[in-house]
Amino acid sequence: MSSSCAPTKEIADKSGAQLWAENCQRCHNTPSPATFSPEQWETVGMHMQTRSLITDQERKKIVAFLKGTR
Amino acid sequence: MKQVISVLKCVLPFICIAISLNKVTAQNTITLDSSFLDRINTLEDEMNYKKSGEDHFMVVGLTTFGYAGSKTTNTAGGLSVVNKANSLGDVDHYEFSPMFLWRHGDKFLMEFEPSFNNNGLSVNWADISYFAAPNLIIRAGYFVLPFGTYAKREAAGWIDKLATDPMGIADLPSSDYGVEVEGGLPLGKMKMNYDLSLTNGMQLNTDGTLSGGFIVDNNRNKTITGRLGLLPFSNSSLEIGISGMFGKLGTDGTAYQNTSGKMYAFDLNYVKTLNPVLLNIKAQYNIVNIDDANYISPVDTTQTYTFKNQSKAGFVQCSIRPVGANNFLKNFELAGRYTNYTTPANSTWGSNQHSFELGLDYWLTWRSVLKISYESYKGTSTASQALNANMGLTTTNTLYLQFSIQL
Repeated sequence: MSSSCAPTKEIADKSGAQLWAENCQRCHNTPSPATFSPEQWETVGMHMQTRSLITDQERKKIVAFLKGTR
Repeated sequence: MKQVISVLKCVLPFICIAISLNKVTAQNTITLDSSFLDRINTLEDEMNYKKSGEDHFMVVGLTTFGYAGSKTTNTAGGLSVVNKANSLGDVDHYEFSPMFLWRHGDKFLMEFEPSFNNNGLSVNWADISYFAAPNLIIRAGYFVLPFGTYAKREAAGWIDKLATDPMGIADLPSSDYGVEVEGGLPLGKMKMNYDLSLTNGMQLNTDGTLSGGFIVDNNRNKTITGRLGLLPFSNSSLEIGISGMFGKLGTDGTAYQNTSGKMYAFDLNYVKTLNPVLLNIKAQYNIVNIDDANYISPVDTTQTYTFKNQSKAGFVQCSIRPVGANNFLKNFELAGRYTNYTTPANSTWGSNQHSFELGLDYWLTWRSVLKISYESYKGTSTASQALNANMGLTTTNTLYLQFSIQL
């Protein structure tokens, strides 16, 4: 039995790139991955999660995408 | 630091050899203190004890600087007075705010943002967050209240599409001391988020206005503030939210000690690429209700007066950016905002205010922008003439040139 609080498979399978494109622009322009170092993206990601209230999974996927695309 | 110690360890043997050779040949000998090598070994052990990535400190921040030129006409009793002014630095909107972020592992984050602006030196937030569980963040300290979204997400100069803040929305004190829990949750194809805080609360002034922020708590009661947000579309393009703030405002031991406030906010944010443009719509509506109270008349301190203490403020903003155009044109963004702000009639500060601002932005990078905007403002006093309040009509037209950057 699936929980209505869980994301659907379509949502859960979204890539970090897609989540970055959809969520960052809700407030500001989408950031360039080259802006910060990998360690800085970890810190910035946590700060952004407290502001935008993206889910934990979304934050981790977005940060992994930004770190891997520099 | 690690690299410095590594270099020292590589270089030292050669220095020691050179010194030894000199010791053999020179009349005056040089003795290398062995405690120096011991100290380097201790420092290296300390560095190795700290796992890579466990602590991270960084500084980001923003500055907003500009020029404002205005013409104000005040009309009262059939008489009009015109006043022209300009300000380099645009003092009302100038801001220099470095932000310090200190992360410890993946559980703790400390955030501190001091700010220099037209109010002098102040603090926007100073708090520590504990990422307790997936979708649960616990925060303590001095933080932005979860009332609407403008103060927490949209106010920064490098994010705001226009040069000004919407009246009434940004005037409400936005930060307070307390504790908070927040998080985002999946909901099938949708998402929701929650944000709940317990803080000292705002304070009622002797004219019915509110103060907040850096103030000593005036009563033993606390204020609850909370927001629920819903993102109903799977692409997160739309978010709607509802907020409430409830608490006693009056000072203990005074006639206002049981006077409380009930405040509500509704917010909307829609951002969607509709080729070839990016459409961005933002809106927020605040209602501030404060219990009836009797205030001391400023004209005759033996008399009191009262009024229905309700303020309403709302804005709707729309911007479009031609993201499908060439590399030059796609950096322009056209934005417009309408704001309405009403304060209580028959108070000393009653008014009905409207403003419309139209602006054109040029995005130099994703986080630096040049803005030119024109604002037309009209305010009609609804204050009580019996209280010697300012009456009449005020119109102001202002041209803003602004630069804002986040680094």
